[in-house]
Amino acid sequence: MTLLTITNLTKKFSNKLAVNNVNYTLTPQKCVALIGPNGAGKTTILRMLTGLLKPSSGVIQFANKPKNDDARSFIGYLPQYPVFYNWMTGMEFLTFSGQLEGLTKQESVKRATFLMEKIGIANTKNKRIGNYSGGMKQRLGIAQAIIHRPKLLVLDEPVSSLDPIGRREVLSLMEELKQQMTILFSTHILGDADEISDELLLLKEGEIIESGEMHVLRQKYQTAKISIQCHENLPIYRDKISTLSSVRNVYIERDTIQITAHNIQNARQEILQIASKEQWPLTNFTLHRASLEDMFMKVVNE
Amino acid sequence: MHTKVLLQKEMLENWRNKKWIWVPLVFLLLAIMDPISNYYLPQILESIGGLPDGTVLELPEYAPQDILLMSLGQFSSLGVLLIVLISMGTIAGEQKNGVMDLLLIKPISYRSIILAKWFSLLLLVWTSLFLGITASWYYTNSLYGEIEFLSMLLVTFYYGLWLTLVVTISIFYNAIIQTPGLVAFLTILTTIILSIVTNVFGTHIKWSPVNLSTYIHEMLVLGSVTSQLIATAFTTIVLIIIILSVAIYCFKKKQH
Amino acid sequence: MQEMFESINWAVITPLLVIQGILLIIAIIDWAKVEKTNGPRWMWFFIIIFIYTIGPIAYFIFGRRQQ
Repeated sequence: MTLLTITNLTKKFSNKLAVNNVNYTLTPQKCVALIGPNGAGKTTILRMLTGLLKPSSGVIQFANKPKNDDARSFIGYLPQYPVFYNWMTGMEFLTFSGQLEGLTKQESVKRATFLMEKIGIANTKNKRIGNYSGGMKQRLGIAQAIIHRPKLLVLDEPVSSLDPIGRREVLSLMEELKQQMTILFSTHILGDADEISDELLLLKEGEIIESGEMHVLRQKYQTAKISIQCHENLPIYRDKISTLSSVRNVYIERDTIQITAHNIQNARQEILQIASKEQWPLTNFTLHRASLEDMFMKVVNE
Repeated sequence: MHTKVLLQKEMLENWRNKKWIWVPLVFLLLAIMDPISNYYLPQILESIGGLPDGTVLELPEYAPQDILLMSLGQFSSLGVLLIVLISMGTIAGEQKNGVMDLLLIKPISYRSIILAKWFSLLLLVWTSLFLGITASWYYTNSLYGEIEFLSMLLVTFYYGLWLTLVVTISIFYNAIIQTPGLVAFLTILTTIILSIVTNVFGTHIKWSPVNLSTYIHEMLVLGSVTSQLIATAFTTIVLIIIILSVAIYCFKKKQH
Repeated sequence: MQEMFESINWAVITPLLVIQGILLIIAIIDWAKVEKTNGPRWMWFFIIIFIYTIGPIAYFIFGRRQQ
């Protein structure tokens, strides 16, 4: 099953290559995170998908799109810094958006009322958008993007500008929406991607340097890592651990000794043996799975 | 369909920001300033005093047509300036602050966006013009002498074409530039260049839109619509259609 | 001066004063409702009140935040 195919997508701004030969296939009902450092070309890719920017070369093709249909009606888009008509009320703006998407006035009003409720700002539906908070605007932005039930929802940094509460609200809204549509969102915060995405696209300097399903990538970049905490004398234990054959690297990070190993199972045994033999005052012993951040750093720095 | 929705939005916006109140009022003010001040000029000069006794004030006797034309003169300078200022950000501003993005991702045509903006401005301008000329006509009739109602309607129609051209030029610059101040500057510059060119090559371009005022004057004096006026009106309409089409084309191009 | 006042036909002048009055009132109402203006808010109050007719118009064109 394919929703959308991106082939050889490239964008040049005057002489700078912003996006270089990107290929990807989106499948329905998946949540895909587009990750990369600032300036990697995330926004440029998303804007090309939504039709706001024309690619220098390459093709974006919706599967099963009737030839004469406007691709924009399949997509809902929330820009990184959504700007609204501040003189409108939230309800008016949603109704207006719905009508522009081709709904009748009545359908639009009905759908807008429903969405205002769903995103939790129904009590302010007749207030001017100018008086909305950042989180409310962000949720209104998502509501206008899904008013026509698009197949693909494109969100540009949907949670980066929000406080923890707003962030939580938007993430759980996305969690719910991904049952109904494909979500493609960009972020530079790895935790957000970790939390809700099924697939990952890692972008660096306009190129996809790694992509795939989350659990596959996790295995691929699994780094064996152990961290232990002791009451005292960390340097002494560090030196002892570094002599073990299964250990690759040891260093101290504040009150913790971080250990990476060639073979995680052997390393665990060896460390626990020596620790119990010499009766180290251990307070904590942890085996880590690879965090997204490790993976990110590894790939980006390669 | 979409144009209608967009137009409704424009109308609501211009109602909420009170343009529908103050723009017609300013046009009314511009229209009745001259009829009133000229009527009271002798008294005003007398009350200021300072003139030696026995001075005979020789003030020009105005024909009713002159008075109506004075109102048009106000529209041509301050009225045009006002139109340029209220229209300078209508698209440019929305592109600059990013709100246009939320329109452009909807499956609507670029033409709808331009046409809705253009038409909403025209409704405002034509309403204001009609009110202003009606007021000027009313004052002229009660203070100076009669002008036929039909003449007044014709003046409104032909002069409205000139203002429509100004609106269209502003929309054109709006479509291609994102800085409202620059849009205003270029719109005014274009009308100035248009009148300079018309004056320099006057004999060759008799049907320049700039000459609308001259032929409207002629019409009022002669009491009939001349073929020159009709030809000029026609040129103006053609020019408006061309500029508007180019504006839509450029707006479409520019988005990519 | 007295003479001039008596000679004025108020039916002619009144519309002028009414228009200027409405402009002033609308501008003040709008100013009172708006939270932010371009430039200091109080400056616009004085401009609207003290600059005859031009003040309210200037407020609508330049003082009011668009969008």
